[in-house]
Parts: sequence; C-alpha cells; structure tokens
Amino acid sequence: MATVMHTDAPAEAAAHHHPEHHHPEHHYLNHEKTIWSWLSTVDHKRIGIMYAISVAIFFLIAGVLALLVRMELLGPGETIMGPDAYNQVFTLHAVMMVFLFIIPAVPGFLGNFALPIQIGAKDVAFPRLNLASWYIFMAGAALAVIAIGVGQVDTGWTFYTPYSSDGSNSVFFVTLAVFVAGFASIFTGINFIVTIHKMRAPGMTWNRLPLFVWALYATSIVQVLATPVIGITMVLLFLEKFLGIGIFDPALGGDPILFQHFFWFYSHPAVYIMILPAFGIISELVTVFSRQNIQGYTFIALSSVAIAFLGFLVWGHHMFVSGQSAVSSIIFSLITYLIGIPTGIKVLNWVSTMYKGSVWLQTPMLYALSFLFLFTIGGLTGVMVGVLAVDVHLHDTYFIVAHFHYVMMGGTVIALLGGFHYWWPKITGKMYNETLGKIAAILIFIGFNITFFTQFVLGSRGMPRRYYDYLPEFTALHQISTVGSWILALGLFMVLFYMIHSMFRGKKAPANPWGAATLEWTHCTSPPDPHNFHHTPIVTHGPYDYHALEHLYEGDGVGDGATVEAAPGQKH
Amino acid sequence: MAHDAHAHADGDHGHHIIPMPVLLKTFGGLIFLTILTVLTATQLDLGAFNVPLALAIACGKATLVIMFFMGLKYDNRVNTLTLVLGILFVLIFISFTLFDTAFRGDIGNVDTIPQEDRTRMEETLQQRDPGRAGLATSPADSLALEQNPLEETPAPAEEPAPETTEPEAAH
Amino acid sequence: MASTTTTAAPAVEHGHGDGHAHHPRFQHHFVSMEQQFDSAKLGMWLFLITEILLFSGMFVAYTVYRVWHPEVFEVASEALNPFLGGLNTVVLLASSLTVALSIHFVQKDQIQKMNWMLLLTVLCAAIFMVVKYFEYTAKFEHGLYAGEAFHPHAGYEQFNIPYARQFFSIYFVMTGIHGVHVLIGMGMFTWLYTRGLRGHFSSEWYTPVELSGLYWHIVDLIWIFLFPLMYLI
Ligand code: HEM
Ligand SMILES: [Cu+2]
Repeated sequence: MATVMHTDAPAEAAAHHHPEHHHPEHHYLNHEKTIWSWLSTVDHKRIGIMYAISVAIFFLIAGVLALLVRMELLGPGETIMGPDAYNQVFTLHAVMMVFLFIIPAVPGFLGNFALPIQIGAKDVAFPRLNLASWYIFMAGAALAVIAIGVGQVDTGWTFYTPYSSDGSNSVFFVTLAVFVAGFASIFTGINFIVTIHKMRAPGMTWNRLPLFVWALYATSIVQVLATPVIGITMVLLFLEKFLGIGIFDPALGGDPILFQHFFWFYSHPAVYIMILPAFGIISELVTVFSRQNIQGYTFIALSSVAIAFLGFLVWGHHMFVSGQSAVSSIIFSLITYLIGIPTGIKVLNWVSTMYKGSVWLQTPMLYALSFLFLFTIGGLTGVMVGVLAVDVHLHDTYFIVAHFHYVMMGGTVIALLGGFHYWWPKITGKMYNETLGKIAAILIFIGFNITFFTQFVLGSRGMPRRYYDYLPEFTALHQISTVGSWILALGLFMVLFYMIHSMFRGKKAPANPWGAATLEWTHCTSPPDPHNFHHTPIVTHGPYDYHALEHLYEGDGVGDGATVEAAPGQKH
Repeated sequence: MAHDAHAHADGDHGHHIIPMPVLLKTFGGLIFLTILTVLTATQLDLGAFNVPLALAIACGKATLVIMFFMGLKYDNRVNTLTLVLGILFVLIFISFTLFDTAFRGDIGNVDTIPQEDRTRMEETLQQRDPGRAGLATSPADSLALEQNPLEETPAPAEEPAPETTEPEAAH
Repeated sequence: MASTTTTAAPAVEHGHGDGHAHHPRFQHHFVSMEQQFDSAKLGMWLFLITEILLFSGMFVAYTVYRVWHPEVFEVASEALNPFLGGLNTVVLLASSLTVALSIHFVQKDQIQKMNWMLLLTVLCAAIFMVVKYFEYTAKFEHGLYAGEAFHPHAGYEQFNIPYARQFFSIYFVMTGIHGVHVLIGMGMFTWLYTRGLRGHFSSEWYTPVELSGLYWHIVDLIWIFLFPLMYLI
C-alpha cells in the first residue's frame, strides 16, 4: 500500500461516476453560477470560499504593510517613513492580521468547508447565521478601512489606555470594527458547537470525530466565551473616549491597568482561537501523510479542550511589568507554565505518529514538519517569557515579536497553508503543481527563520519593539531580517500564483488523492456535490482507520467518492 | 443516532409543558425574595454581611428563573452545562482581576511617586473624601492631586519625609 | 436555501419516527423537527452566555471600584430611588411570568391566550422603560451624568466626591445597555405578537417564542443582580 502512495497517485483521475449522478460535472461550484448565487448562498462550502477570498485579501494587504515595516528597518534612522507613519503602518498591519485574517481564517475558511462534511452533515446547523457571519465580518472590515481613511490609528493592536482614549478619533472606527468583527466570530463559534453536538451522522460518535473537528470545537468554546468581553471592552473604551466615564482613564480617576485586564481576558484566549484550529489541521496532516493511525487520539482531542480552558487563566502574563500586583503576577506566571503540558502532549503525539509510519513528503506534510519545528520554538519561548524574572527583561523587546511570530506565522499560518494544500483538491477539484509547492514550502520555511530568528537575538540584546529607529549596533541583524522577509514574501507569492494557475489549468483531482479516511475524502466527489453526500453516510470506523479503508474500498485506499456509496452497512 | 436529541427528558414527542401552578408559584417566590431583599437591605444592618446577603438572595432568584421560567430543570443537560460554563468564566474574570486590584501596590518598590509626595497627597485627599482608606493606592490619585494642588498645603521646604519606604498597606 | 432542494434524501432519515418531519418550517438539513428545535435551543443558550459575558465586563468594573471605594459607593447609591428600582424589578418579574405563560399556552395550542401574554410582555417592557425614563431625567436634572458632564448640584452636592463619578458611570452604562436589551426585547415581542395573530405558531412549531423567551429571562436575570447592587447596597 505504502508503495502505491509514493507513486504519483493523484494523477489517477476520477474515472467512474455513479450512474444516478445527473450530470458528471455537477458540483457545488457550478450548480449555480451568478454572483448573486454566491452572495446569497447558505452552502457552508461556498461561504468557506467567500471567507477564503476575503481573508486572503486582508492577508495580502497586511503582508505588504509588514514588508514596509521591514523596509523601514533596513537601516537606522528614517529609511522610507517617519515615526508617525511607522506607528500607523505597524498598527494597521497588526490589527488587520489579528482581527481580519488570523482569527477568522481557519474556522471561517477550512472550518466552514470541511467541518460539516467531516461529521457527515448536509450543512452547519444554522446556514443563514453562517452567511450573516460573513456579512458582519465584511462590515467590520469596512469599518477598519474607514478608520484608515479618517485619520491615524497608531495605538498598536492592543489599544492601551490612556493613549487610545486621548488620541485620534479614528480609534472609534477601529474599536467599532473590532466589536463588529467579534460578532462574526461568535456566530461561527455558536454554529460550530451546535453543529458538532446535534448534526453528526449516524455512527459518528464523539470518539470518531476527526481531530480537526475536536480542535474547532475547542476553538468555538473560546470564541463564544471570550469574544463578548472584547466587545464590551471596546464599548467601554469608546465611552471613555467620548463621554469620559473614568473607568480606564487615569486623568479621570480610572485605572489603565484595568483596561489591560479587559483586553487580555479576550486576547490571550484569542491566541488559542488562532492556534487551536492549526493544531487540528496538523493532526490531520500528520496521520494522513504518515499512513498511520494517530497516536493518542483521546489525548490530542482532550488537550485541545484543556488548552481552551487553561487559556483563560493566564492573561496576566502580558502584564507582568504593567504595575499589577505581585500576587497576580505570580499566579499568572505559574498557570502559564501549565499550558506547556497539554501543548507538549500534542507535539509528542504527533512525533510518535510519524515514528515508524511511512512518511509521504508531499507539500502538506512539508508544512506539517515546518509547523512542528517552528511551533515548538514559539511555544517554548512562550514558556520562557512566562517566567516572571525573565519577562521583566524581555517584555516589549523583539524577543516577544519573535515569539509571537513563531506561533502565529510559524504555527497558524504554516498550518493554514498545509491545510490549504491538503484540501485544495477537494475544494477546487484540481491538483496543484507538487514541485512548485515543495519549492515554495521550503522558501517559506527558510525566509521565515531568517526573518524572525534574528529577532530573538535582537530582542535578547535589548532592541525594543514598536520603534522606527534603532542603535547602529543592531543594523546587521535588522538587515538580515529584512532580507528574510523578501524570501518569505517570494514563497508566499509563489503559492498565490501556482494556485491560481491550478484553478484554471490544474490536473483533475480524484476524490481521494491522499488516501485519507475522513468522510470528505471517502464519501464525497472532488469537488463535492451541493449537498455534500448523495446519501447520508453511516459511519462504521474511526477517522484514521487506514486498514478499514483498504478493506472497505479495496486496493490502495485511494478511492473515488463517486464510486463508494456501497460502503458496508449502508443501505440504498 | 448520534445527535443528542434522545437525551431529551421526555423522549421524541412533544416538549415538557411546565404546569401553570409551578409558574405561578415561581413568580410568588420571586416577589417574596424581592421584598425580602429590600427589607433586609433597608431595615437590617449586618455590616460586612449586607452585600453577601443581597447577593445570596439575588442568586436564589436567579436560580428560580433559570430552573422554572427557562425550564432548565426539564431540559437537555448540555444546555445546563453551557450556562454553568458561562457563569464559571464570569467568576474567573472577576476573581483573577481582583487578584490584581485588591492587592495593587503589594510591591513597595515599583512606586514612582516619592513617599513624601504620597503622604501629602493622602492627607489632602482625606480631608475631602468620605472614603478615606479606599483612596490610598489607586492610580487615580494623581487626578485628585491635580484637583487639590499641593500648593494649598505649605510646601515642605527643607528635608524630605522620613524614609518610610514600607509598602503601602493595601486597603 | 441550498439544503431544501435535497432530492435523494434516503429513507433512513425519515424513518426517524418523527411525524412532524414535513412541517412547513422543517429545514431539510436536519433529520427531524426535534433535532431542529434542540439545535436552535442550544444555539440560543450559547448566545445567552455571550450576553452574560458581555455584562460580566461591567460587573468586573463595578466590583473593582466597589472594592476600592466601598464608602463612596454606599453614599452614591443613596442617590438612586429604591422604590422605582423595586417597582421595575416587579414589572420585569411579571413580564418573565407572562413570557413563560405564553410558552405554556402555545404548547397547549391556546393561541389566543398566548397572544395576550405576548402583548402583556410588551406592555411590561414599556412600563419598565417609562420608569427608567423618569429615573434618568431625575438624575440628569441634578447633574448626575455618566462621564465628564458629571457635576451634582441642586441639592445633590453631597455626591460631589471623588469616585462618585465612577459609580454613576457604571450605573448609567450598565442600566443603559440593559435598557437597550429591553428595547430589543420589546421589538421582538411585538413582532411575535403580530405573527401570533397571523397564526404562525402552534404546539408543533413555536421556536421563535421559545428562543425570545429565553432571551427575555436573561434580561430579567441581569436586572435581578443590578437591582440590589445599584440600589440597595
Ligand atoms: C505555549 C504556549 C504559550 C505561552 C506560554 C506564551 C506566553 C507568552 C507570554 C508570557 C507573552 C508575554 C510576553 C511579554 O509581552 O512580555 C506572550 C506574548 C504573546 N504571545 Fe504567547 N505564549 C504561548 C503561545 C502563543 C500562541 C499560540 C500565540 C498565537 C498564536 C501567542 C501569541 C502571542 C502574542 C501575539 C504575544 C504578544 C502580544 C503583544 O504584546 O502584542 N502565544 N506569550
Ligand atoms: Cu498570552
């Protein structure tokens, strides 16, 4: 079997079609074609694609802003912009990346597309709410754009008071944007939780849920519990600014540190909104491309939930030097160490899944390996800065910048790219160019490390974050970092171009090019039918039971969804 | 069927109808507790127990509403779990914030205001404020300082106050 | 709705033993009316906890400032009228009862009675808002505002103390956001009432009534805590 996998199995096009199938090319992408059919769709797959396109645009804009930031830092002093412009550029970069890209990206795109199919449902529980979530998200994005037009937003993505409550009025639009986009996130979360609880196909028991689903479940819990707090924080900030309610503004008797509590009560859990779905993707990739049932299924599933809960108890580690009480610093620091445990459990299980598996180094697996490497660095440095005494020195330096880019970019974005390549054949029905894919993955890995590893060094030597200028001794490292950002950008643009090429010219994808055992591969055509399945599947085996897969579908397990309706136990 | 429908208290058909007397009794209980909380708050002074008592009564009322009006007593357990989770995280939010605000300033050496100014500030503030003790450490003191310029009190011309660097006794 | 066009829904699905499967309100991505109802309800409960967490931020602000300045809060709360607060409590509790009764009646297919209860709910909500209006204007007249406009006068000078502003800010923000929820609830129940008149609900399908009821009880619950915290202690 493993040998078959190593040949270019994807080339094997879908040969047979189910006789009942009205039209061989009838699928969710082409059954309706007008723009309106997209804008009014309640199909979770199409909404996923709408999310994909929008977050991709924001990623592109925010990415260009990042290149500008790096360009400014190419030399000490003013290079391409002055301090005011610089403050705005890094703020917009961060606000867009966090609220408009990384938080909605995996749940909104891959989650929406894959989750209902993976549990054997026809759609999410509330399809119209799902569409509403996209519109609300776009409204939030529009407000962010207005904010850019209205004036300068230079508070950093953290909006700390009193600077934010005293500064430019355009803060109003940004806070409103964050408030509104928050609702989109809440609606997605509610939808996913209900879908997972109530919409599973017969036989899809909790311990047969794919790990991506478990991860989205944990993510959704965080979204539902944390996001309202950023909402009220933004409302209070807004009232502080325009009425002067005196809760956060020290000049009026308020407490700016209280604002930081409010902000981080959401924003620390929010980093788990970003990383948990990425964990889910990696769990899928590691098992599929090792052709081995996942090690420690229960551990991985429940550690996601554990992380979701623990994530609510550590927010104060962002405030060690804010002037909060020493008691709370100590408590928050201790709980921060605990987060390492469930996280470590996951990493160890992924590694042991690969051990003695037959690892198939396709592009998605390259991303999974990158993830393991980069996320481990990011997570471990996180525990480092969770140590009180260490953080007093490293806080607000480039060390922190490096830490969170290793987890957000090296973790979430790399996993997103892996998942993007993995599900691409299912989403579009086309294969991408494997060689270019591998080259891009390697470029991204190299570029990323050059860009951000240098920043660990910079930070540990005392380079503070959020400055457009620096001392001459930091020049060399900053220049290396900037060059790295170009390599990284090159890799990312490559992905954009070969994916667009694949969309029009790509080879036709079979139903199950990777020989995976989850329902979207085994029971669906590529691309899927508008209703996902011709018949609701009856699930008889676990999500990574590759032996059952061979047994059921014969041969190499590389099936074609159109031909497998005769799965045992399923009547029709 | 994997979905949770079958966990429903009364099987497949119909929903539990909460009997009229139960609803009316609940309402009676709520009114009773409202009167009780008004009476205890206005007629009794239990000192430190005023707030806990009022909160306890409010929790009792909340339980009645949740169990009978919202019907959680007869509902799917997952809905109860959801609510409990929500309440749990509210409690976490409040208590972990209090770990900071209730102990603010427990490290003496992070105070950037010289002890001498601080003592004077407190004196000025205490003359005006009924909530003396409460004012000691909040960062808002700087505002009060602005409103009551120190100039009012004769500036201590020469030597600084004794070097009492002992940490602020938090409230 | 994409999912309503399902052509090849297999027999397995409808064999679920649920006679209501063909109710016009049935959405075909569900297996049964029961599943549809339970899903909606779980979704609503999840939404309700987001409401609770939204208010939690303000409760945290209240707690923090109260712990810092307990005396100020005790003095400042004397500015509020416990009688009006108590009246509003009773009004809201009554509206919770009428909502619960409206569900009781629709489950028994007594649609006329359900409509009356919905109307009574709207009425209670309106009374609540009117009382709030008088409370607010009475405060504004004496310069008790949220925020920088705060300057007590005309017999309210005793509230011109540091941190009383924080109390009134929190009071106005919390009751204000609560009031917005009451207004939204009023809108919802008016809409339900018109639908009830048009005969949209029956014991077979009354999901909107059920969900709006849950929402309304949460609004009531928040008030149950606001009342003693603001007016009494
Ligand atoms: C292994 C678990 C992790 C631990 C123990 C950890 C710990 C920390 C600590 C202590 C800080 C504060 C440093 C400072 O400001 O002085 C921090 C900052 C940060 N972390 Fe993590 N972290 C972890 C994982 C993550 C993940 C998974 C993400 C995002 C996907 C993330 C995103 C961030 C961000 C964005 C900041 C900086 C926030 C800012 O000040 O702008 N972290 N982390
Ligand atoms: Cu954190």
